[in-house]
Amino acid sequence: MATTNSAASEKKEVAVIVPVESRNPYTLFIRPILHEVAMLARFCALFFKEVFAPPYELKELIRQCFLIGYKSFPLVAITGFIMGLVLTIQSRPTLAQFGAESWLPAMVAVSIIREIGPVITALIFAGKAGSGIGAELASMKVTEQIDAMEVSGINPFKYLVVTRIIASTFMLPLLVIASDAVSLYGAYIGVNLKGDVSFQLFFLKVFEKLSFSDLFPAVIKTFFFGFMVALISCYKGYNSNKGTVGVGESANASVVLASLSIFILDMIAVQLTSLIT
Amino acid sequence: MSNKTANNTRLGLFVSLSIALLITGIYFIGKKQQLFGNTFIVNSVFKDISGLQIGNNVRYSGINVGIIDNIEQITDTTVKVEMLLDESTRKYIRKNAKAIIGSDGLMGNKIVVITPGTPDKAQLANNDNIQTAQAISLDDILLKIKISSDNAADITTNLGLIVRNISNGKGTVGKLFMDTVFAENINQTLINIKQGAGGFDNNMKAASKSVFLRGFFKKKKK
Repeated sequence: MATTNSAASEKKEVAVIVPVESRNPYTLFIRPILHEVAMLARFCALFFKEVFAPPYELKELIRQCFLIGYKSFPLVAITGFIMGLVLTIQSRPTLAQFGAESWLPAMVAVSIIREIGPVITALIFAGKAGSGIGAELASMKVTEQIDAMEVSGINPFKYLVVTRIIASTFMLPLLVIASDAVSLYGAYIGVNLKGDVSFQLFFLKVFEKLSFSDLFPAVIKTFFFGFMVALISCYKGYNSNKGTVGVGESANASVVLASLSIFILDMIAVQLTSLIT
Repeated sequence: MSNKTANNTRLGLFVSLSIALLITGIYFIGKKQQLFGNTFIVNSVFKDISGLQIGNNVRYSGINVGIIDNIEQITDTTVKVEMLLDESTRKYIRKNAKAIIGSDGLMGNKIVVITPGTPDKAQLANNDNIQTAQAISLDDILLKIKISSDNAADITTNLGLIVRNISNGKGTVGKLFMDTVFAENINQTLINIKQGAGGFDNNMKAASKSVFLRGFFKKKKK
């Protein structure tokens, strides 16, 4: 009887604690998103505050460049090669209908350099490096390694976050350039599966239609992609606080949000490019 | 320690190769746009540039020798086109060369085609003007096709009218084909002519035997 009474009083308490306003969409969905955006902006501001202030963790930065950039290259290269090959094979029938198969190298090159190369590479990068950063920082957080660093006099934000964001910002453009080159090689193979085009002719055709307005905006936007992937992943990992469950959640949220941010940034970049050119 | 050095070496190699690829791309795109190497400027004034844009190619003897560097409207009817040409082609382009706006294939971009001048003329100097010739544009071709089709329509209308008149038996040809009385008359006329010719032949035979005309016919036989 006493148990029943206590259960009833608990129910009554819950009914009192959960306010009516928490059931409206603003409180349920929009306010948490705005809160997350505000926290991310604070995190970003802290990064810019810390990045210029000494001491500089150059050794850790180079180590992160190796782990984030170089270690991602095989995956990015394989994806790029398949992307170039498949795009060429899929585009051929449509161009063949117009008798414009000779335009295949130029068309594939413009598609890869302008859009597909940067976006697909950034997504792969978000999947590999982003999840890695998110999970690594989250596990350090839950095992209190970050707190231990703080106690031992090392600035954990500078050592863990700043180095990773800089490494990601500068490594992703290089990965995209390498991926573009491998993609174009895949496209060359694709062209020659049903045709006979020399490498020299393919090379000339590729650069015949490319201009600086194709190359520079594509490269510049990848710096922002890299920055955003690492910023979100570091934020999610650094602020993880649900024990071991939080590690998985951080890794998952890092990939999802980083991928979403890539598409949003790409949309903005395309609009800006079309305004300028 | 050695592992760290190897990693750094690999990273350095990756970074260097990627930057080298970027520089190669910039070089080849820049080379195509005449950013590297010696160039000279040639100007032409056109009445209509047919959608020519900055960056379009300039072609000489079928080879891309430069690009359009600037396009400027100078009066209400003329447009000045500034072309950046490769210095190595200067010796081939003479002062009486002509620039024509053409098209790169059926669906391609607009280009400027420079037709060769004559060897007796001097080479072009920097900032020289070359003459232009108006190329036949697609609009001109379509206009001519329209005129031809209008003419064809007129001709078929007139032919239709003639055929209708003939079938209605109007005019000589119409009567010839459609009027049975007229045809009968012609038939009778032909019979009369045949009979008249036969009678004339008999008369001439009789005349050849006449005393008065025998001498005349003998002379004619000789």
